[in-house]
Amino acid sequence: MIRAPVHNFSGQTAIVVHRSPEIGLRIKERCHRLGIRARVRSEDLDAQEVRNADMVILDIDTADDGILPWERATAPMPLIGLIGSESPGRLAWALAQEVDAFLPLTGLGNLFSAMVIAHEVFARKAERRAREAELARRGNLRLEVIRAVLALMEHGRDEALALKQLRTMAMVEQISLEDAAVRLLTERRIAGGRAI
Amino acid sequence: MELRLGLVFSTTGSYAALGQSALAGALGAIETIGERNGDLITPVIADPGGDLAAYERMTRELLESGVRHIVGAITSWSRKEMIPLLERYGGLLWYPCPYEGFESNDHVVYLGASPNHHVIPAMDWIAAQGFRRAFLVGSNYVWGWETLRLARECLTARGVEVVGERHVPLGVISPSRIFEEMGDQNADCVIDSLIGPSNTSFLQGLAARNMAGAQPVQVVSFNQTEADLDEIGPAANGLLSAGSFFEPNASDMLRDVARRHAPNQRVSSFFATSFAAVEIISAAVRRAGTDDPSTVFRAAAETPVVTAMGAMPIDPVLRHTMLTPRLSIARNGSFEVVQYAEAPIAADPYMTSQTAGFPGSNPVPRRELRVVK
Repeated sequence: MIRAPVHNFSGQTAIVVHRSPEIGLRIKERCHRLGIRARVRSEDLDAQEVRNADMVILDIDTADDGILPWERATAPMPLIGLIGSESPGRLAWALAQEVDAFLPLTGLGNLFSAMVIAHEVFARKAERRAREAELARRGNLRLEVIRAVLALMEHGRDEALALKQLRTMAMVEQISLEDAAVRLLTERRIAGGRAI
Repeated sequence: MELRLGLVFSTTGSYAALGQSALAGALGAIETIGERNGDLITPVIADPGGDLAAYERMTRELLESGVRHIVGAITSWSRKEMIPLLERYGGLLWYPCPYEGFESNDHVVYLGASPNHHVIPAMDWIAAQGFRRAFLVGSNYVWGWETLRLARECLTARGVEVVGERHVPLGVISPSRIFEEMGDQNADCVIDSLIGPSNTSFLQGLAARNMAGAQPVQVVSFNQTEADLDEIGPAANGLLSAGSFFEPNASDMLRDVARRHAPNQRVSSFFATSFAAVEIISAAVRRAGTDDPSTVFRAAAETPVVTAMGAMPIDPVLRHTMLTPRLSIARNGSFEVVQYAEAPIAADPYMTSQTAGFPGSNPVPRRELRVVK
């Protein structure tokens, strides 16, 4: 299913990290028109305040890992990087930090576009991470699948038929093959070790 | 001081009637202001004929010749074509047309209605009238796409079902199969974001279908004005249009200028807004003492200019004007205002006020329109 990107940020909070009061004010005014409560900060960031924000808009010319209250590339909210000098080192830092959208300082009029992109990229990143975590979890259950297939082979079924039966169980229950294996083994234990 | 003012309107091509109305408003204002204040504004007129490439070429020629202020563009396509050049040459476009929102460029002043001025009041009206099955038709470019996307969102939220959607290429006659689809789906209202010949042919086809005994449907438009109402003829009867200004809102002065300058001798929102644009530019240039675009814009935003449309405060950040939303119904070639806001409302081009925000933060509070009794 195609999800419509978020395009209304009314009621959200943004932390703006920039040393220039002029830039900070311009971003704050624009945020206000979009219904966003913006707080402009220089480098003295309050970790709790940043963690409570819905997005962070930061100057990639001056920001570094040390001022951000999370491990590199694990920001818990969308990040928008303000591009000033275009120095390759700063762009590399921003990419390593997995900034979700970039906005040149000359294009503050397009802040809305950067917000839409940042929120969508962040949402997709979260979905990808969740998918990867799920695949890793299922990968860890391979032994359970083997045990379940062996259990189903006890009554003379061959391995192909046993696996097919396990798949059918997973399909009927609408769960993964690995979860079906775990459930089968648990139920067998409850049933006193008898094949079911 | 003398000001050379670019007027870039397509007075030929597929939406010529709108361009002619807007150009007449600007020229009428130049003449009126000259008589009123002695301000000398020299119009530099360009007609791109509705051709996008011509918009780019003519805008470049104007800016290279030293013109710094332009009133113009009708469609969003043409405005978006002009913007890169305005950025490059440091020009300022005063855009006098209703548009679909979601833009706020540092080289544009948005004087026409935003979606909170047109789409929202019209969708509220549809729901209040008890219509339940809406069909959406629009010209196949950003105006049609975005107004209908928002209309769909608003209708769904108000419990009105969207039973179909069709887009027609700009300048093309609307195909009759749209009427069959509307009939098959039992649509009781149609949201019409078509412009030019697509719109005229659609409304005339719809009227013919009604004459043949089909169930009538209510037509709602965000862009129908007096500029091309005569072309449509009796087929426009009953159409509801949402906008910021209609002929009944015009002063005698404005009507008199329209009689002398507009080919159809009528005031439309395109005419009135272009007239107001020139009034604002002229007053702001006088206050600023220069035609430097950013200085002129600051002067225009600092103190609202009272124009033929009333006071038009400009938001210095979003660069849009406050306007008075109005709903009108076409009857026998004229519009009759049926609802209006009691005061001008700030533009909300990013539709920020459409969902619940934190208390007291919404820049644009929703207001009920007042019903004309």
